[in-house]
Amino acid sequence: MEGPGPAITMGLVTHMILLQLLINGLITGCALGVVAISFALVYATTRIFHVAHAGVYTVAGYIAWLLVSHAVPDLLALVAAVLVCAALGALIQQLLYARLERRGATHLVVLIASLGLLAVIQNILAAVFSPDILQFPIPWGSRTIAVGGISLTYTQVLTVAICITAYAGVVWFAHFTTLGKRIRAVASNPFLAGITRLQPNTVYVYVVAIASGIVALPGVLVPLDLGLQPYGGITPLLTATIAMIAGGVGSISGAFLLSIVIAELQNLSLLVIPGEWSIGITFFIFVIFMLFRPTGLFSAAR
Amino acid sequence: MDFLLSYLALASIYVMLGLSTNLLVGIVGIFSVSQAAVFGVGAYIVAHFLMAADPMPFLPALAIAILCCISLNILITLPSLRVSGDYFVVTSFGIQLLATAVFTNWTAGTGGASGMPGIPPPDLFGVQLQSTLQLTLLCVAGMVLTCLCFWLIMRAPFGRMLRAIREDERAVAAAGKSVLRAKVSAAALAGAFAAVAGGLYATFLSFIDPSSFDLDASILLLTMVVVGGARTLAGSIVGPFLVLALPQILTLLDIPTSFAATARQLIYGLLLIAFMLFRPQGLLGERL
Repeated sequence: MEGPGPAITMGLVTHMILLQLLINGLITGCALGVVAISFALVYATTRIFHVAHAGVYTVAGYIAWLLVSHAVPDLLALVAAVLVCAALGALIQQLLYARLERRGATHLVVLIASLGLLAVIQNILAAVFSPDILQFPIPWGSRTIAVGGISLTYTQVLTVAICITAYAGVVWFAHFTTLGKRIRAVASNPFLAGITRLQPNTVYVYVVAIASGIVALPGVLVPLDLGLQPYGGITPLLTATIAMIAGGVGSISGAFLLSIVIAELQNLSLLVIPGEWSIGITFFIFVIFMLFRPTGLFSAAR
Repeated sequence: MDFLLSYLALASIYVMLGLSTNLLVGIVGIFSVSQAAVFGVGAYIVAHFLMAADPMPFLPALAIAILCCISLNILITLPSLRVSGDYFVVTSFGIQLLATAVFTNWTAGTGGASGMPGIPPPDLFGVQLQSTLQLTLLCVAGMVLTCLCFWLIMRAPFGRMLRAIREDERAVAAAGKSVLRAKVSAAALAGAFAAVAGGLYATFLSFIDPSSFDLDASILLLTMVVVGGARTLAGSIVGPFLVLALPQILTLLDIPTSFAATARQLIYGLLLIAFMLFRPQGLLGERL
C-alpha cells in the first residue's frame, strides 16, 4: 500500500496551510490598513510624524476592555472607545501640537514631544492596568466558523468587515463631504487654505480627532484575538508607516493596499522563517522601497 | 561607597552615549531612537570576545567593537542622507526593534532573553583590573577621553561645518563642502562612542541582557540629551548625571519595585514633553 496517498495528503496539507496563511494575512492586513490610512491622514495634512498614534491605538483596546469587563454591551464598548480616542486626538492636537507650532518648534522638537507622549501613554496604561497581556472576556470571540476547511474566528470575520467598511468610509468622506474636501485643500496647500478662510488650525484638530477615532477600530478589534499589551502599539504603527510610505504619501488606497501586501508577505514568510523575525521582513521591504522607489508606488505628483 | 562608585561609572558610560546621541540628534539634526541598539552591539561584541574559548585582551576586543559599530552606524544613517528626515524615523525605529529581536532571539550568539552572565573584568596591557574602584576609574577615563575628543572636534573647522549644516545645509553645500561626507563622519564618531560605552558597560556590570538595549533605553538616551541640552558638551555631561539620579530618588519614595520601571519610563516621557514645550534647548544646550 505504498501508493501516491501520503504525497497527495502532504500536498493538500501544505495547500491548506498556504490558504490559511493568505487569509490570516488578509485579516491582519485589513486591520493594519486602517492604522495606515489614519496615520496617513494626519501625516499628509499636518506634516506631523505622529508617533503617539501608537499610544492612541493602544488606549482604544484598554477602554473597550475596561467597559466589557464591567458588563457593558460589546458594541457600545467599541463605540465608546472610538469616541474617547477621537477626544484624545483632539486634545493632543490642541494641547500639544498646536502649542508647539505657536512656539515655532522645529520638526525634530515636535517629533521628540510625540515620542515622549507615546512613552507617557504606554506607561500610564502599564501602571493602571498591568504590563502583562490581558485577554478580552468575550466568549463569542474565539468561536469559529469553518469555510471549506479554513477556520475563522468571529472576531476575524468582524475585523475584515469593519476595517474594509472603515476604508470605504474614509475614501467617501475625503471626496464627497465638505469637511473632507476642506481637509484635502489644507493638506495640499496650508497657506492658500489659510488665506481663503478654511482655517487650517481648526482643520488640524478635526483631522487628528477623526484619525484617532478611526484607529480605535483596529485598536479594539485586533486585541480581541491577540490580547492587550501596553507596549503593543509600536510594531503595528511602524508597519503601517512603512505601508504608507511604500504606498505613496497622500494616497489612502495605496496605504491600505500596501498594508495588505505587507501583511501577506509577513504571513507567507512564516513558511520559511520563524515568526519572531517578522519585524525583519517588514524592515527588509522598507529598505527595498527606500533603495528603489522612495516616493512609493502610488505617490501623487508633488 | 560602592554605590557612589557604580553611580559614577554608569553615569560616565551614559555620558559617552549621550555624546553619541547628541552628535546625531543635536548636531547632524536627525531623529534617532536606535543608539541603544548600537550600544548593545558594542557590548555584545566585547562580551563575546572576552568570553571566547581563547579570550582576547580587553583593548583589541574593544577595537573590533568600535570598528563594527562605526560601520553599523554609517549603514543606519545612510538612508537618512538619501531620503527625507521623516522616513529616517521609520529606519531608526525599525533598526531598534530589529536589534531587540536579534538580541532576544539569536540565543546562540547573545544568550537570548536570559542574557550573558559572567563577563570577565577588563584588563589593560596585561594588568587585570579587579576592584570596583579600578573599574570605575576606567569608565571615568573613558568618559574624559570621549569628552576631550568631542570638544576638540567641535572647535576644529570640521565641528564648525557640522554646526553650519544644522543651520543651513544648502549654504554649506553651496560653499563647496561635502555635506554627505560630514554627516557620515559624525555618524561614524557616534558609533565609536557608543561602542566604547558598550564595552565598558558589559565589563563593568559583568552581565548584559536585551533589556538594557531596547527602545526604552533609546528613549532614556534621548531624555538625557534633551534634559542636558542638545549640541553642547556641558549638556551631554549634565543630562546623564541628572537623569540617572532620578531612579535613586524614586527608591526614596515608597514605590513597589514592580512599578518602578514603569514609573521611570513615565517620568522620562513627561520630561521629553515638558522640555520640548517649555525649554527645547535643555538646561545647558542650544536651540534644538
